[in-house]
Amino acid sequence: MKDHSLGEFEELVLLMVAALHDEAYGVAILENLEEKLEKKLNISAVHVALKRMEDKGFVKSRFGGITEDRGGRRKKFYVITALGKRVLDQQYSLRISIYKQIPKISFT
Amino acid sequence: MRPEAPPKRALQFLRWFCREDYLEEIEGDLTEIYEKHYKVSQHKAKRKFIWGVLKHFRPEFIRSFALYPKYSFTMLIHNLLITYRNFLRYKSSFFINLAGLSAGLACTMLIYLWVSDELQVNTYNEKDSRLYQVMQNYHEDNGIHTGAGTAGILADALAAEIPEVERATSVVPASWYVNDGLISYNETYLKAKGQFISKDYFNIFSGNFIHGDKNTSLRDKNAIAISEKLAVKMFKSTQDAMGKIISWKQEGTQGNFQIAGIFQDVPVNATDQFDILLNYEIFLDGKPWLREWGSSDPCTYVLLREGADVMKVNEKIRDFIKSKYKTSRNTLFLQRFSDRYLYGRYENGAPVGGRIEYVKMFGTIAIFILIIACVNFMNLSTARASRRFKEIGVKKTSGATRSLLMLQYFEESFLVTLASMMVALLLVLLCLPFFNDVTGKHLALTFTYERILALSGIVLFTTILAGSYPALYLSAVKPVEVLKGKLKTSLSDLFVRKGLVVFQFMTSMVLIVSVLVVYKQIQYVQSKNLGYERDHLLHFELDIKADDNDKIFFEEGGTFQKQAESFLNEVKNTPGILSASNYYHNLTGDHGGLGGVDWKDGDEDDHVSFSNLEVGYDFIETMGIKLAAGRNFSRDFANDKSRIIFNETAIKRMGLKDPVGKVIRLWGKEREIIGVVKDFHFESLYQQLGPCLMQLEPRGYRIMARVDGKSQSETIARLEKLFHAHSPGVPFDYQFVDDDYASLYAAEQKVSALSVAFAGMAIFISCLGLFGLASFTAERRLKEIGIRKILGANQFGIVTMLSSDYTKMVVVAIVIACPLSYYLTTQWLHNFAYRISLQWWFFMVAAFLALCIAWLTVAAQVLRAARVNPVECLGRD
Repeated sequence: MKDHSLGEFEELVLLMVAALHDEAYGVAILENLEEKLEKKLNISAVHVALKRMEDKGFVKSRFGGITEDRGGRRKKFYVITALGKRVLDQQYSLRISIYKQIPKISFT
Repeated sequence: MRPEAPPKRALQFLRWFCREDYLEEIEGDLTEIYEKHYKVSQHKAKRKFIWGVLKHFRPEFIRSFALYPKYSFTMLIHNLLITYRNFLRYKSSFFINLAGLSAGLACTMLIYLWVSDELQVNTYNEKDSRLYQVMQNYHEDNGIHTGAGTAGILADALAAEIPEVERATSVVPASWYVNDGLISYNETYLKAKGQFISKDYFNIFSGNFIHGDKNTSLRDKNAIAISEKLAVKMFKSTQDAMGKIISWKQEGTQGNFQIAGIFQDVPVNATDQFDILLNYEIFLDGKPWLREWGSSDPCTYVLLREGADVMKVNEKIRDFIKSKYKTSRNTLFLQRFSDRYLYGRYENGAPVGGRIEYVKMFGTIAIFILIIACVNFMNLSTARASRRFKEIGVKKTSGATRSLLMLQYFEESFLVTLASMMVALLLVLLCLPFFNDVTGKHLALTFTYERILALSGIVLFTTILAGSYPALYLSAVKPVEVLKGKLKTSLSDLFVRKGLVVFQFMTSMVLIVSVLVVYKQIQYVQSKNLGYERDHLLHFELDIKADDNDKIFFEEGGTFQKQAESFLNEVKNTPGILSASNYYHNLTGDHGGLGGVDWKDGDEDDHVSFSNLEVGYDFIETMGIKLAAGRNFSRDFANDKSRIIFNETAIKRMGLKDPVGKVIRLWGKEREIIGVVKDFHFESLYQQLGPCLMQLEPRGYRIMARVDGKSQSETIARLEKLFHAHSPGVPFDYQFVDDDYASLYAAEQKVSALSVAFAGMAIFISCLGLFGLASFTAERRLKEIGIRKILGANQFGIVTMLSSDYTKMVVVAIVIACPLSYYLTTQWLHNFAYRISLQWWFFMVAAFLALCIAWLTVAAQVLRAARVNPVECLGRD
């Protein structure tokens, strides 16, 4: 059976891949995450997460066209797979269900 | 503004380690970030980029570094097929490679066999690492001489007094005697080598007894042990030999002995060969003075305790003799028994080399021959590379990596090497009998574990050496250039190729010079005026049966002397004998030193040792030694026994003027000098001529006779008849002096024969390479030649043009080789006290030979190219 675990950073990257939809590639994911999290990240972390999730089958990738930028290197775009979406949903519902169990305590 | 490219090194690093399927994405992303940062700050951008690359250096992204990821069995088969097709297509270069490599490998293997055999001499003893021989240094006024002879009672004293010495034994090897002894049983006479051993011998040396016990059999003085071979020869079987009483005779020893043991034959790689073992006490009985400290005859071997420090033992025994015998000036030292064979030359009382130099020399030659053979392979494969460039280009464009191509070339060189090895093994098998004949060894091509390892080592070494340059060179070509036909041979390639040829010819030239020098030196040694006439001079030992009842048998004027004299007279009267004499010591062996000559007044005593020759009447005439002054011993004068003759060196050393008629003292007895002989060489020319004295001894049992050269064989037959009439059944064993003399130089003879052979091989292999190269170049320049001819070049011009290239290379080789060979040969000649001086024409001859050989080699190819019809070579274009 395939490993369906999802790390915290991986989850963030997967969410971002899903959010950016057809426009998700390394740098775009990185910049959007940096903006949301308000902290600096290294691109290598994003790459590691992407590769792991691709191995697990949560995302799939394709190459974009050649442009003048990036030293002539093609972008690699990622899209979320059905499995990825399901894992994300599970994760989400799991969190919500536990969250709902939190008693109404006032923190005032 | 276009940003400048990201840091080059970091990018290179990334491209080197990164997985190929990830590289584009990672590099692209990193570059994009870099470009964004670049707008803000160049430095920051660069720093970030480098950091980014480093952060990616983690297992997920690192590519597989397995050497040949794609090298599968299919590739192997494919390469084999390509190799096979190449062999078929370019048969000539394949055969040149095969011939060169197999000749080189065969030489290397022969030398390997020889060297490993040399290194194994005397190592057959189990306790070899602790087995030492005691050597004695004689400190004399003219330097230190080193000898193996030690005091007869040294062994027991060392074992008793030096704690590090576990055991010690005295041995008198068969080589101590000039001639073999005579063993007889029921009228069967055989010559055999007898060795005397004292009791601990088999606790030190290895050896096995087939019958009897090795430790106890020889305790009885009348017991002897004989070798298996001798037992079978004399008694048909070893069982029959046990207990038989035989009689044994060798100078000083004579008697009947009972066979108490049969031992396995001594290994062939032992220097001390013997057929008979006798109790050392018998040897001592014949020579009572050996029980004193002043003597030096037997060899002494010691077995040190485990972990004993030789240096410390050496210090302890250095002055051992002096502590026993006050007036002695001799010192002792230990040398590993198995080292003595290779390190047998001594200077200033320490071993400085010997045969090891030849071992090293041939080892070097082997390596050079192998390199020369490999150079052929490299040269031919790179020269013919242009034919394969397209193949490489196509392979590279369809994805072959460099390592894959390199492997292909190594595979090719491995296949050629392997095929050559097979041929070489065959060659070695064919050559071994001749090789053994020349070297006097018993080498055999057996496959022990070590040998297979060594052979595989040689194959691997050759594969890598031969294959490396083509592999590196061919795999580096750029496919674009190759396929467009742009590739030109660069200068450095040409340089390497030419350099290799220069190297080959340099080596050949050095070998030619060496061979010339060795040959000349040997010739010089053999034709040097030795001070006596060597030709047609033969000698043999007289066999006179002792009569136990005759009390004065050996005394002066006794039966022995009478019989010897009467026999000598018969010899002299034999037709064909020009003159004859008898004597005691041999001429070409080691004479040791005789001290105790006193020529000054008072007690003053100089330590000069003289070689002692005890000779009969007419000895000087028979030998053809020239008298410088005075007269020879003569029957006309009574009492010549109390007179003495010296050689010129001795007179010079003693500083005597008008020596004839002067009186000196020898061992306290006055002796009148009656004559001085001109110097004659009685030892090998390695040594300087030493002082020598001659005393009259009419009881000498060795006969020296000069034979008329015209009727030599008839005269020898007559002598044999005479000898047999005198002592029936005893083998007539005669030798010629010039043979004896030649045997002094046996090692040099062998070296010279071997070096001629190997130099020839080296030259042959070099020529093969040059031949291949020449034929190839001529072929490639065919069009050029065609055009030149159309434009009016004549054949001569083209021949000059084509051969000038090779001439230049050979000339460069000669220029380098001259000083090198000068240096090497001078080193070798320093071994001789009497040597030739190097002549300029040696080098001229060698250079001329090298040039001629080179020209001859390329001549056929060059001529063929020069004669080509332009229509033929240009017609197709």
